[in-house]
Amino acid sequence: MNCCLCDQALRFAPSWRGIFLYEPPELLCQPCRNEFLKIIGQGCKYCGKEGEAVCRDCHYWEEHGYRDLIHSGKSLYRYNGAMKDWFHQYKFLKDVLLAQVFAKDLREALANERALIVPIPLNAEKLSERSFSQVDELLLAAGIPYSHLLEKCGETLGEKTREERMATKQLFRLNGEAVPKQLVLVDDLYTTGTTMRQAAKILQEAGAESIRILTLIRA
Amino acid sequence: MQAIEAFLTGRIWIKQFIPFPEEVIQEATEKGSARVVSGISADGQCARCLETSPDYVIPFQCATCGEVCRYCRTCIKMGRISSCTELVLWTSPALPKSAPRAFGWVGSLTPQQETASKAISESIRKQEDHLLYAVCGAGKTEILFSPIHEALQKGLRICVAAPRTDVILELSPRFKQAFPDAVIHTLYGDSPEQTGYGEIILATTHQLYRFQEAFDLLFVDEADAFPYSLDPSLERAVKKAGKPSAPVIYISATPSKTLRKQIAGHSTIFRRYHGAPLPVPVYRAMWNYEHHLRKGKLPSPLKDWIEDKLQKKQPFLLFFPSIQLIELASPLLYKIDCAIAAVHSKDPQRKEKVMQLREGALAGLATSTILERGITIPHLQVAVIGADHRVFDRAALIQIAGRVGRNAKDPTGDVIFFHNGITRQMDAARQEILFYNKEGKA
Ligand SMILES: [Zn+2]
Ligand SMILES: [Zn+2]
Ligand SMILES: [Zn+2]
Ligand SMILES: [Zn+2]
Repeated sequence: MNCCLCDQALRFAPSWRGIFLYEPPELLCQPCRNEFLKIIGQGCKYCGKEGEAVCRDCHYWEEHGYRDLIHSGKSLYRYNGAMKDWFHQYKFLKDVLLAQVFAKDLREALANERALIVPIPLNAEKLSERSFSQVDELLLAAGIPYSHLLEKCGETLGEKTREERMATKQLFRLNGEAVPKQLVLVDDLYTTGTTMRQAAKILQEAGAESIRILTLIRA
Repeated sequence: MQAIEAFLTGRIWIKQFIPFPEEVIQEATEKGSARVVSGISADGQCARCLETSPDYVIPFQCATCGEVCRYCRTCIKMGRISSCTELVLWTSPALPKSAPRAFGWVGSLTPQQETASKAISESIRKQEDHLLYAVCGAGKTEILFSPIHEALQKGLRICVAAPRTDVILELSPRFKQAFPDAVIHTLYGDSPEQTGYGEIILATTHQLYRFQEAFDLLFVDEADAFPYSLDPSLERAVKKAGKPSAPVIYISATPSKTLRKQIAGHSTIFRRYHGAPLPVPVYRAMWNYEHHLRKGKLPSPLKDWIEDKLQKKQPFLLFFPSIQLIELASPLLYKIDCAIAAVHSKDPQRKEKVMQLREGALAGLATSTILERGITIPHLQVAVIGADHRVFDRAALIQIAGRVGRNAKDPTGDVIFFHNGITRQMDAARQEILFYNKEGKA
């Protein structure tokens, strides 16, 4: 087996953990793994961005009609060069296997979660074109059960400027499933927070009381 | 020739990305001129790159077709192919038409080049594979011009493949000059789309995945790693791109033993086109160089060598075994002279930096092994830092040494191996260079 990012042969160092507890085989070589930078310590209370207690983006939302909509949240990794490469290969080259690269991190973050886990969806057309939903695949790889409560409307944020993104009105609608009181919204990449705020708003209106968020990457 | 036929002949293409309307493709398939195949066959082989390993052909739940699909990771950079992807192949054969063709090359060949050139033509006539075993700076490209011109006049479709983009980009203008009335396509990773029928295709080896039974004649440049033990998919790419009867001409300065044994027809040129011998590597001990670099010190033998080159205003390359070592060394090098820069394989400014070295805007470059080929700079001097490291095998060291003294006006220069102990690979490289020089004289 070779590293699934640089294609160098993987050198196996069998560990006691790997022998006694079932652990899926590592997909990355150590140098590639080391390129990814975890977000550590206390950052923004809503999105986990390193630095201030409330980041600039989240501050904007708090001041513009979305106060206390999100209870708290975090992100696991920084959006550095290696992460951009991974994201491109996963989402745009459609290399589904790469969902497994962060399986362990997501498992650690969500394994003991009692609230319902709700992935941010793709719209049906996009899903058929991409052939997989990148958030669902991340959760599947991590072995974390989830339920969809939302459907994506036509618009996508991809080609929008920062201002246009923040002014976008309706991105989601409910899919008709019952909305519980507590839930965790999961997405791949947190850029300005528009997606999460929109999703949270509609879920709150449908009866959710405590909404937390988790994203793999904070841009 | 119909436009769609010109585009598709010899190619294998994702249906969705064929630059013609759906109806035109449909009509061609109904008439039987084109055939549609599944991207991944039922038994798990990629139709484009022929990958079969389950490490690279991966099953997944596909939302496009709603089934369990497989996709190929080996050729994913060219647009992902999965079981439900349709690929189109042109099936009607193109008949070669002979006609006199322009020849724009006016240089002359040395007697050795002439002999090799004739031998290659002869192999092509007999439809046999051939190995051109020629030292760095032997003038390989010129040797090929006359055989290629003959093939072109016979109406053969020709491919010249090389592993790296730089080499292809360097060949392109020379071929356009030599064959002014030929349709030449230059294909590499992000090259602009070329939609007609190319008579001569200059392509990186990976691009050959996109062809199937297209060529009557193939040249594989820098075939040192052939048969590609590390990447067997490239070998498959060459076989697939050629018609079954197409001869393959392998070109290498350091062919493997297997290749030498495998191929009956050989030409050897151990002498550079300017007649001067190859510079012979010199060993210089530099104990614990890595430790010194980690402590922020440039080892003094290296420092002295660099200062000598700076003083003589000679451009130089410093080959390092790893990117980490380059990163450790580059601030130290910058301190000696701010005109010493660093490049590595992922550096987007690679081309610019090499140009700056050639033009004298940079004094020297620290580099990983990627720059070992495809670079010709007058008066160049070369040092290998840690020549004992396992990345520097015999072939790599010969290639590195081959960068020096390529210009007839200054056929000499330093090739220095700084080491932490002499390895068998270093000795093998040096012995081979001495052997070339001895043979080349005879
Ligand atoms: Zn790797
Ligand atoms: Zn925030
Ligand atoms: Zn493939
Ligand atoms: Zn499918």
